[in-house]
Amino acid sequence: MLRHWCSTSLSLLIAGLLSSEAVSAKDFENTAIVRQVDLAGSLVQATTTYAVKALRDGADVYTVALSTQDKERTSWMEARLKGQQKALVWHARPLDTPKTDYHFVDIKLPKRLGLNETLNIVLDTVQTHATKPWPEQSAQKDEQALIYKTGLYVISPYRTLVQRTKLKSPSPRIISHTELEDISFATGAPFTKSGSTVTYGPFNNIPPSSNEAFLEKHQDEVLIHFHYDHPVLEVLKLRRAVEVSHWGANLNIQDDIHLRNAGPKLKGHFSRLDHQAQAFYKKPAPHVLPSLTLHLPPGIRNTYYYDLIGNVSTSRLRAAPRLPRGSNAKLSSVLELRPRYPLLGGWNYTFTLGWDAPLGDSASYDSKTGKYYVKVPIMTVIPGAVVDEAEVKVTLPEGADDFEFTPPFPAKSMWISTEKTYLDTSGRPTLTFEYNDLTAKHDGYIYVSYRVPISAHFQKPVAVSAAFMGLFVLAIFWRRIDLRIHKTKKA
Amino acid sequence: MPAAYPIPSDLSPATVTNTASLIRIVALGLISGAAIASRLFAVINFESIIHEFDPWFNYRATRVLAAKGFYEFWNWFDPTAWYPLGRVVGGTIYPGLMATSGVIYNALHALNLPVDIRNVCVLLAPGFSALTAWATYMFTKEMKDESAGLLAAAFIGIVPGYISRSVAGSYDNEAIAIFLLMFTFYCWIKALKQGSAFFGTVAAIFYFYMVAAWGGYAFITNMIPLHALALILMGRFSSRLYVGYSSWYAIGTLASMQVPFVGFQPVKTSEHMGALGVFGLLQIIAFAQLVRSHLSSKQFQNLLLVAVISSGILGSLAIVGLTYKGWIAPWTGRFYSLWDTGYAKKYIPIIASVSEHQPTAWPSFFMDLQLLMFLFPAGVVLCFMQLRDEHVFVIIYAAVASYFAGVMVRLMLTLTPVVCVSAAVALSTLLDTYIDPTEPPSSEDEQVLEKDAASSEAGSVASTASAAPTTKKGKKAQTNSGADASASSKKASKPQKGVFGLDTRLTVIMNAFGMLSFFVLHCTWVTSNAYSSPSVVLASNNPDGSQHIIDDFREAYYWLRQNTPETAVVMSWWDYGYQIAGMADRPTLVDNNTWNNTHIATVGKAMSSSEEVAYPILRKHDVDYVLVIFGGLLGYSGDDINKFLWMVRIAQGVWPEEIQEPDYFTPQGEYRVDDQASKAMRNSLMYKMSYYRFAELFGGGQATDRVRNQAMPKQGPTLDYLGTNIWLPPIPLTVLTIPADEAFTSENWIVRIYEVKKEDLLGRDLKTANAFGQGKKRKRSKPAVRRRPIV
Repeated sequence: MLRHWCSTSLSLLIAGLLSSEAVSAKDFENTAIVRQVDLAGSLVQATTTYAVKALRDGADVYTVALSTQDKERTSWMEARLKGQQKALVWHARPLDTPKTDYHFVDIKLPKRLGLNETLNIVLDTVQTHATKPWPEQSAQKDEQALIYKTGLYVISPYRTLVQRTKLKSPSPRIISHTELEDISFATGAPFTKSGSTVTYGPFNNIPPSSNEAFLEKHQDEVLIHFHYDHPVLEVLKLRRAVEVSHWGANLNIQDDIHLRNAGPKLKGHFSRLDHQAQAFYKKPAPHVLPSLTLHLPPGIRNTYYYDLIGNVSTSRLRAAPRLPRGSNAKLSSVLELRPRYPLLGGWNYTFTLGWDAPLGDSASYDSKTGKYYVKVPIMTVIPGAVVDEAEVKVTLPEGADDFEFTPPFPAKSMWISTEKTYLDTSGRPTLTFEYNDLTAKHDGYIYVSYRVPISAHFQKPVAVSAAFMGLFVLAIFWRRIDLRIHKTKKA
Repeated sequence: MPAAYPIPSDLSPATVTNTASLIRIVALGLISGAAIASRLFAVINFESIIHEFDPWFNYRATRVLAAKGFYEFWNWFDPTAWYPLGRVVGGTIYPGLMATSGVIYNALHALNLPVDIRNVCVLLAPGFSALTAWATYMFTKEMKDESAGLLAAAFIGIVPGYISRSVAGSYDNEAIAIFLLMFTFYCWIKALKQGSAFFGTVAAIFYFYMVAAWGGYAFITNMIPLHALALILMGRFSSRLYVGYSSWYAIGTLASMQVPFVGFQPVKTSEHMGALGVFGLLQIIAFAQLVRSHLSSKQFQNLLLVAVISSGILGSLAIVGLTYKGWIAPWTGRFYSLWDTGYAKKYIPIIASVSEHQPTAWPSFFMDLQLLMFLFPAGVVLCFMQLRDEHVFVIIYAAVASYFAGVMVRLMLTLTPVVCVSAAVALSTLLDTYIDPTEPPSSEDEQVLEKDAASSEAGSVASTASAAPTTKKGKKAQTNSGADASASSKKASKPQKGVFGLDTRLTVIMNAFGMLSFFVLHCTWVTSNAYSSPSVVLASNNPDGSQHIIDDFREAYYWLRQNTPETAVVMSWWDYGYQIAGMADRPTLVDNNTWNNTHIATVGKAMSSSEEVAYPILRKHDVDYVLVIFGGLLGYSGDDINKFLWMVRIAQGVWPEEIQEPDYFTPQGEYRVDDQASKAMRNSLMYKMSYYRFAELFGGGQATDRVRNQAMPKQGPTLDYLGTNIWLPPIPLTVLTIPADEAFTSENWIVRIYEVKKEDLLGRDLKTANAFGQGKKRKRSKPAVRRRPIV
């Protein structure tokens, strides 16, 4: 979502508080920076901890620098103080010049720091499309390996006393990684490898690095090539349609999903024999996706799973019972679904998944304001998958007006339209939100409030009754008017 | 008047009429409900899916119609079918079915009912079956009365012979055609009875609809003239016949010619000449009648003689001459195969290869009609007993349809309506007779007195029966006569004719209801077990009894759809052409619209030749993938190896020197696939593709083909021309001897897809290239020859 930082309503609010003047390197000093990257398939989690010392009395905005590469990859970001749950408010600065290789993010600290006061800031980010399969093609029986590239130094507008970068592979089977020599800031060995972790650093006394000169002279790229034993999944397109129905007391959610195995492309052909042999010997190929497990809300009914040519029978649902209102229990219905065919590298599969949920579980009525409130989940997390493009469409009941909505994070674009479905006369207001690069961290709710006048509730029955009435009246006249030319006796 | 049981007498006639009318409406409603519901087994057991093969094309065409509108559909040229020839779809189909669905779809959407086009298509046949029940009711009402009509409606609603073609998802032309057939016949009978130009026109309009919907319209085209001709020959020419027939023929023929696929056939082909001839005959007779009314009898007789002879000679000469000149097309092969069941097998194997074109087996009559099969002749006999104009129609229809149903399984469908009508007439007569409470006058004295008289009257049973006391419904008495006669004849010892007492009545009625109940049970059983399988999806049972769906077809088709280029040409036997086009959305070489025999034979040749011969054929047709159906692992008997002989036969029809059927049998004349299989068989592409790596699946055990129950050789076939384009290093773990293989095989191995290799980049033939890729040495054949001693 970083691409749309500027449109953040929250950040607009605090935009006035934060000055967009150049970062003063005199404000802070990083006593230590530790960056840990948890490598995986589509989603890579990078956590950077800044140990900060204030060099000036009263500083309350700490600025983090991100390289262009990091900024493009990052789809989710959260800053907080170490050991605390509460997220800090941050604001991305507009670009000074379009050509810079670094970007600034201002983090509003919870209080003004006194001179030499210290603070540990943790910056959690999730990067998408950060790894790529290498080799780019592999046969059905081959293993899967990915590469990940990143900058050697964590750049910062402040001086840094010591910094490290840890690249943590999911398994100790690391094929190779960049081996550096002659690092000017390193005192000991520039890198160490232990188990599944490769650590670059420690590097000491790094001057302010978010400037062209430093990047030109010192910044280096490190690369790690590691085995990854799970399929790399990518949802190219997710279209979620949510329909709120008051008459049916129903919340229908339907997802059209275009899933792709973004791992290495299949070299040669798929052999069912080999696939069955792998399954028989319980040695599944790491890049083959045979099935998916999804967690759906509790209390759902009428779950359906089909694709363009009909129902897919290979799924199993363990529906959890409805939770009592206000319960905090974490229950979810588990849906195990199998695509029609195992998904090998580079293969696509499109399918539709939908269910009905009791409206009472996600909507409530406030009699004071006379408004309905409904919460709509943005997505169902497909484990380990990134959603490239998402479109969430919320259809409110016919005649709903005065609606307000609060998405958990700002949409790339959003519009309101009118849709007509079953026997509608005036159509239903529909809110559509578009997002890019959603991850499991984005699994939030859109809150919508709206008002439905009593008359709107009766619009449909009245329309249908009127239509039938019309038919009957016509029939009455038809029976009673004799249009025959010859007035013969009635047969 | 004595009565077997009391009936209320204080009801006003209006009450009776209204109640009867209400009961009729309710009964028709329930029958419609039963007709629709019994066809939903397929949806409930499986899902809302289009069945079998042809419906997939109809569905695809309907989607085009719904998405792009009628004119676009009309002009639709489909380049993906019959690659590379393409197909002019608008001009080669009966658009009635698609147009019907399109209208329903658009009407529903206009009402803001966004029903999926697939559901419209799936539920069209059940919906129309309800209409068929109503049309049959109307038709039978004309034959006998409302009660027979209701019975006929109930029969046609649930009879398996009709359900077999109209379950939900069986989206084929027959789905709407039977309704149109019955309604056209009803309108014709009505037009004939009333001499009504209006009903003649309605019949013509529905005839047009029928022509637009099903190729079986020729049945109407010949039935109505046959009926008219029979009436003329029986001396029953009337102005009612003249008006009814002329208005039907003139309007109906002109309208039918508006369908592009039919075009000028109604005036050019032999199948339609009968209707034209009867039309002409009617004009001549009508003219003769006109002349007769103005001339004296003597003059008229002379004139008639000359006119009849000359016009007869001229007319037949004209038809023969026109046929000879080629203006009128002679009978088509499909028509000949109706008279000689062996004709198709000899001359047009492609027609004979379709299972529904086989002669009907006896059990299938019972399976499809059960009880009705026995009631049917009784009904026809009852028609003979009255022989009004409309009864002649039923008799002719029964005779013609019985013959056709015996010749071809699929024509069972046209027999079913008339069986239902006749059976309903028979059963309704039986019930009328035995429910009627009127007792014959039965005092002991009268019996004794009549004893002598009765014995002398033994021959004229019918007359005594008709003299039986009239019931409260006067018209019923007439129709009862037949059954009364048969019933009374049983009690020959008793002189009194009639049904006595409640016990006799109850016995017969309970018996009849028992039979009807068994009929319902039978229909339900047959429908749910035999006729409700989509054949795209197969069902089996898990060990715990739950249903297990075998979904290999869709698995493979969907794989093709999602993971191959959109222009990839798929070759398969023609049976799967429509399914591939519909589900995989890929171009196909041949499909179920078997218009080009040579093209099909080409595919047959490619399948039945060795790889070296087949490869150039595949390359010339730009084939990217070859799809075969293989049931050997699962025991699915409808697979390509079992259809293989038809491929061979069809190919042999075009290339008799290259493909010969006997080559595919063992010297003992057996059709084998195991190690005794003939050389041509083992070298054929079809055999290789079916059994490629099949033996390896058994991990060293004995590989068995479960369809043919034959043990497969350990060493399976190798493929040099189909497989990947990429050379792979040998994989050390397995005993594979060749580098690459099939592109995709479904879970139960039913569908196997192979990719056709492109030519070797170095210009070697693929066999050599393959051997080189595996690191094999080239075989030296020359030295061996040299060392052989010269004899």
